[in-house]
Amino acid sequence: MMTKKTNKKMVEIRDLHKYFGELHVLDNISLQVFEGEVVVIIGASGSGKSTLLRCINRLEKADKGEIFISGHRLINKESYINKLRQEVGMVFQHFNLFPHMSVLKNVMEGPVQVKNFPKEEVKREALELLVQVGLEDKANNYPAQLSGGQKQRVAIARALAMKPQIMLFDEPTSALDPELVGEVLAVMNDLAKNGMTMIVVTHEMGFAREVADRIVFMDEGKIIETGKAEDIFDNPQNPRTKDFLGKIL
Amino acid sequence: MFMPYDFSIIIKEFPVFIPAAILTLELALSSILLGTGIGLFVSFARISKSKVFNIPASIYITIIRGTPILLQLFIIYYGITSLLLIDPFPAAVIAFGVHNGAYIAEIFRGAIQSIDKGQMEAARSLGMTYPKAMRRIILPQAIKRALPALGNQFIITIKDTSLASAITIRELLLKSQQLGSSNFRFMEYFIIAGIYYLTFTATFSYLVHKVESYLAVSDH
Ligand SMILES: Nc1ncnc2c1ncn2[C@@H]1O[C@H](COP(=O)(O)OP(=O)(O)O)[C@@H](O)[C@H]1O
Ligand SMILES: [Mg+2]
Repeated sequence: MMTKKTNKKMVEIRDLHKYFGELHVLDNISLQVFEGEVVVIIGASGSGKSTLLRCINRLEKADKGEIFISGHRLINKESYINKLRQEVGMVFQHFNLFPHMSVLKNVMEGPVQVKNFPKEEVKREALELLVQVGLEDKANNYPAQLSGGQKQRVAIARALAMKPQIMLFDEPTSALDPELVGEVLAVMNDLAKNGMTMIVVTHEMGFAREVADRIVFMDEGKIIETGKAEDIFDNPQNPRTKDFLGKIL
Repeated sequence: MFMPYDFSIIIKEFPVFIPAAILTLELALSSILLGTGIGLFVSFARISKSKVFNIPASIYITIIRGTPILLQLFIIYYGITSLLLIDPFPAAVIAFGVHNGAYIAEIFRGAIQSIDKGQMEAARSLGMTYPKAMRRIILPQAIKRALPALGNQFIITIKDTSLASAITIRELLLKSQQLGSSNFRFMEYFIIAGIYYLTFTATFSYLVHKVESYLAVSDH
């Protein structure tokens, strides 16, 4: 597998720092993600993985450093941030589907309410997306009627409905029963194959090995090691990476 | 003076109370409407991170919840009438609206804050503005969650309108007092008033319950 799919930098992070009070949660993070690339972030709980993803779509504000999304610097302006978020899809560990809306309405909400696209057109595309994630028969169900795996697939469809350039996944399968993990990973695998730029925080090492162009290992707010899956997994250089993989594999 | 109860009066005189019943209903509904508007606005002020909004909101809530509603009614009615002429009815609507606003604000605040913060994050991640996320995603869930407490507050309001009798509004209670003092059939007239109140509160409970079950479709 190639490390770069194209030369276009979709995400560029420069010297990023983030504090929660005294806690230095992100400590000088620099990272580039190229178009079509799948980057998997691994690391122990509390190492700052979620915070890093959340800085990229500005759910958290970094204290220092710069972030560029397909060349545009993230600035501190509400309208700009709202624009940027349309380009960056986010999938959460706990799905966060809108419980008062049907599956179809969940998927349509972004394009209709944010982009003001005509409902009929959005509905057609939403139904196509539901086919893509294998849930066309659930269109009129409410989230409460779905299994965890189905919920997460709807959440992916909802994010994709905005036609984002980048997709962020924060432990998308961690809240799922083991038998439901596969169906979500399969959808993500498809996305990766179709060239979506993805940053994925996960503990699914099988997925990481198969799909990731690059693995990033984080510990205590720092990127400790980064490289191709086979290099990181089979031949980690840093003792902390070794230690972490020893515990998880 | 001994006088046996004559319950046939209840049936005979029941229609006589209709104007008073309508007045009670108008008073209750206007107060609920005003109170809900104030409550929604104040709950946002209360949640706001800006002190310019949340401190006045807290003061308002503390004052209203810490003093008797009858005192509030007197302060607004006599307080305002000493400055400009105002009819008792609008004075009562303002007093009850302002009173309810404080309770409803707390009901809304609790409900809004009880919604998982992942909901706001998911909405904002799609690029929604804060007000739109509030309106489309948070409020529909919060209102649903607030409905039992809101319904309760509305029923309290219906009953509290009886206090307006103290500022000469001829709603159900004053009407029954006035008729009673004309022929000393207090008990019979109070029972009539009671039946009207009970009908209103029971109907309201039923409607709230209906709305609750309608909104519950997404739960299962
Ligand atoms: N909103 C917050 N306020 C304070 N501390 C936080 C907040 N969010 C995360 N943290 C802390 O920051 C550290 C990194 O958290 P996180 O990015 O969620 O790690 P990870 O996703 O790798 O488990 C943890 O110690 C966590 O407790
Ligand atoms: Mg996390």
